[in-house]
Parts: sequence; structure tokens; C-alpha cells
Amino acid sequence: MVHNVKLGKNMRSVSIVGIGATPFMNVIENPQYKGLTNGELFGYAALDAMEDAGVEPRDVQYFFHGSANPHVLNKCITPNIQVADWCGMRGKGSISHSEGCCTGYIALEEAVFAVASGAYDIVLTGGCDMGCGMPDGNTPDHMRVALTSEVLFPDLDSIFDRAYGRYLGGGPGMNHDDWINYYAKENNLSADVIDDVLNHQAYHFRRAAALCERAMRRTTYDELAKEAGFDDVWEYMKSSYNPKMTQYLRTASDSSVADGAACCIVVPTEIAHKFNAKPIEVLATAGSALDAIVPHLEKKATAEAARQVYEQTGLTPDDIDLVYVNDFIGSSAFLAAEEIGYLPKGEGWKYALDGRLAYDGDKPMNTNGGRTSYGHAFGASGMADIFEAVVQMRGEAGERQIKKMPKHTFLRGFGGAQNVRATILRANF
Amino acid sequence: MGTMRTEDFWNREHIVEKFWNGLKEGVIYARKCKECGSIEFPPHMACNSCGYHETEWMTLEGKGVLKTFVRTGALNARLELEDMNLKYVCGEVQFDEGPEMNAVILGINKKKAKEIEDKLPVRVRPVFFDMGRYTTLFFELDE
Repeated sequence: MVHNVKLGKNMRSVSIVGIGATPFMNVIENPQYKGLTNGELFGYAALDAMEDAGVEPRDVQYFFHGSANPHVLNKCITPNIQVADWCGMRGKGSISHSEGCCTGYIALEEAVFAVASGAYDIVLTGGCDMGCGMPDGNTPDHMRVALTSEVLFPDLDSIFDRAYGRYLGGGPGMNHDDWINYYAKENNLSADVIDDVLNHQAYHFRRAAALCERAMRRTTYDELAKEAGFDDVWEYMKSSYNPKMTQYLRTASDSSVADGAACCIVVPTEIAHKFNAKPIEVLATAGSALDAIVPHLEKKATAEAARQVYEQTGLTPDDIDLVYVNDFIGSSAFLAAEEIGYLPKGEGWKYALDGRLAYDGDKPMNTNGGRTSYGHAFGASGMADIFEAVVQMRGEAGERQIKKMPKHTFLRGFGGAQNVRATILRANF
Repeated sequence: MGTMRTEDFWNREHIVEKFWNGLKEGVIYARKCKECGSIEFPPHMACNSCGYHETEWMTLEGKGVLKTFVRTGALNARLELEDMNLKYVCGEVQFDEGPEMNAVILGINKKKAKEIEDKLPVRVRPVFFDMGRYTTLFFELDE
């Protein structure tokens, strides 16, 4: 790959002035939420974001809709058309985009470009996926059934290159464990140490999710261990209650598939204070994408995107107060935090093991619990991280508010075998 | 003006088709950058090493080294290989000619995996594996 991209400065600065998000939930199993639809989830998140920005639908000029897999999960291919009426956007310009599990992060990048260019002043962007279910045959959207592994598993290969990689086979098989395996060898860490590291990381992320009302998995591992008859939670974490799903990852480090939506409103920074007293400026977003056939692609793409975004903003890892990493592969969390320089090289695993990445630690990250505990509604997840980042940066996270008010937040998006985005937000108030 | 047949006017290579047909014959096609000399594998039109627009055909011997590998589990098993009851790992293979790829290495069970883990990198050779409607490229230990 060539490393010669130098990000330019946007034509005008853009800020987030409104956020909205549904909980991440299981609409099939939760009797209160059963029957909710894609249009309603996106619509509620969008209208909440508009309310937060103090605007009405009539004020919004354009919107982006992100969804990781609208065809299988929602039997449609242009969801922007199908959700527009649910947020008062009938007749306005809009677009659907789909970049796998990176969709929600790219949603912000696209909306920022739309405003930074001068084309629009008030733009809505968001993601929605109902990952727990699928249409119940050819019926209206309130009739959904659980997504079966017969449908899901073969379809997962859709993210892998159809010309070569899917059929040469190695990339898909390396997807989950390549980086943690490489890191373990690089740092001479045994499989048992990695197991402890990942279990501790999952344990502390769950503590955050327990305090987050929108999170999907809110029962702490202490409570789960007790319920299962374990006195020692770490024994529970290594028990058959938390089985290995890959060579390294147990279920606690696997994403919790969810239904949900999240949205935000972006405007030019120069008028942002008219909409919200605590605007969050999007300093820059950098991208890198590598196909799954490339060895150590997540590490390489994360490093490249981080290089670009640091260079553009002039910031260094020392400036970063808070980090979000799309960790549907649980190990990605501390690995990416280390790769972007938030944690010292070769020592990230110690921070995870010691609970220092927790919301109440000195190097907080994934304060909503991340994909393993907050949940993973695929295309909506990135925007849910942006939602949480903004809540933390406004100082409105309640019991899970991090100790130091964050000035700069780094978000590392990842997904779709694999797109990477690196975004830095700044509290501009 | 306008007299040329469209197929004569636009007559480009079928790169993907040639690659897979090559594997059927036991030939591994790649392309070489006409500017920097890097090998593009699997083959594409442009060079992804230096970003030059033009590459040309070449073949690879197929031998190389396995540098890292992982065993798969419920979450990332290759269903088509499981269905055939194959023992395999997925790993980073570097061809002797230079290019690297994530690949499938056959014939490695849990015991064998443990045995070679501390000996990496280990030599591998190509396996032209008949998948029914196409032949793919896997590897096996070159012992």
C-alpha cells in the first residue's frame, strides 16, 4: 500500500450539535419493543437528534442513512427512501450507504463533507440496523422473526472479496484472531495471559454498560458469576459459561448483536452555538481500507488512518482524553488503542488487565461498554459510539462520566472486511 | 468513424478468469509492476505497492513460508472446509517471490499446530484443491 495521503483542511469547520439514539435491544425478544420497525427506530433517533439541536425536520436540508446489510436484515436496497417520511424528510435529498460495521463512523464523515463543502448547513446523519431479526417472509416490517444461523452464517461471507479472497479462504478465517495472535507473539504473551487480558477487558466494559441505560447487556459479570454459583468471577470468565468461540475470543469478547439506531445533526462550527451550548467539533476523519486477504490488515489500516488524522490535526496521542474503538472483535479495543498511541507500545495488555481502560480508569475507552456489552447493531454502532462520545464530552454521562472532562476524543471505526476510519472530536465550548 | 466493432475497440484482459483457470492447470498467475517490479498477487491491473497503473503477467512457483497462523473456532470456521472434514489453519503465507497473503494451510490439526508454533516461519508448498466447480489455492507444510 502507498502511504502518501495528506488530508487537507475542510473548507469550513463542522460541529455536532444534536444527538439521538434508541437503546440497543432485541426487538424480537423484548415484549415492550416487539413490533418496532426500521423506519421507526431511525425516525425516533433522528427526531431526538433534531430536538437536541433545537431544529424541526423542516430545517434539515439533507440526510444520510447508513445500514450494514439492508438486503438480508430488511429486504430492501434503498433504505433512505423508506425512512425519509419517518423523520419529516419527505422530498429532501438523501443517500443510503453501507460499509459493514464501519457504516456509523462513515456516516459522520460523509455528513461533515456535505457541510464542509458549503453545499448544506444543517445535515442529519445516522445508522440503523435490526441485527437480531429478519422479515417474517413477505410481510410488513413490524412482523419480524429471529435471524437464523442458516441465513446469517452463509451471508457473513458477503463482506469478503468475491473475485479472490472468499475462495482462497485465508482472509475470512484470519478475521477475528489475526491481530491478537500477532500481538501475543510480538510481545511474548502466552495464551493464558491473553485470556486473562480479554476477560478483564470484557469485565470492565460490562461495568460501564451496567450504568448505561441504552446498553443491551447490563448485568455485570459479578452478578452473572454469582447467579451461576461461582464465588470467583474470574473462574466464571474461564468456565463453560463463557466458552471460546475462536482460538482466543470467548463469548464475552464477541459482539452482542442488537437492533438499534443512532443519529446526529451537524452544522458549520461558526453557527454551532446557535443550536447547542456545547457543540462538538469534528476536527478530521481519515480513512484506510484493506481487503481481508492482506496480512495484519487491521493493524496496518489503523496505523495509516491514525497517521493521517494526527498529521492533519497537529495533535499527538498525548492530547487524546478518550477513545472509542469498534470492538466487535473484542481484542480490537486495547490493540487499536495501543496502535493509535493512546497506550504505550507493547503495554496495552497491562492496561486492559489492570482495568485502566474502564470508564473510571485513567485511560478510559468504550465507556458505553463497546460492542461486547453495549451491543452491536452493525451499521448503527459507530454512530452509537459518537453519541456516547458527545455525551461524555458534554459531561452528561452521569454515573459513568469519566474522571477528566475530555477535550479530545479519538474514534476508530472498523468493519466490512475492512474499512477503517479515524476521527478526532474536540469539545468546542 | 464508428465503423470499428465494439469488441475490437474495447478488448481487455479477463484477469480473474485467467487466474482461476490457471489454478485448474496448476499454474499460479500473478502480475508484476512495470515500474517498481513489485508482484501483485492475486493479480489486478494496477500496482498496489507503488500505485503505478500498469502490470504484466508472470507466474509464481507457489512455494513460500508460513509466518503466523490461527486455528479457527465456531465463530470463524470455514464452513466449506469443515463440511469436507479437513484439518486446516489460516495464516500469513509469504511466497518466495515476495508477495504475502492470508491463506488456508491444510493438514494441520491441533497437535501439529502446537508442534510448528515455535518453529515459525516454516516452509509451505501449494495445493491445487478441487472445490468442484473451481480449483483453489491452499498450502500444506513442505516437510
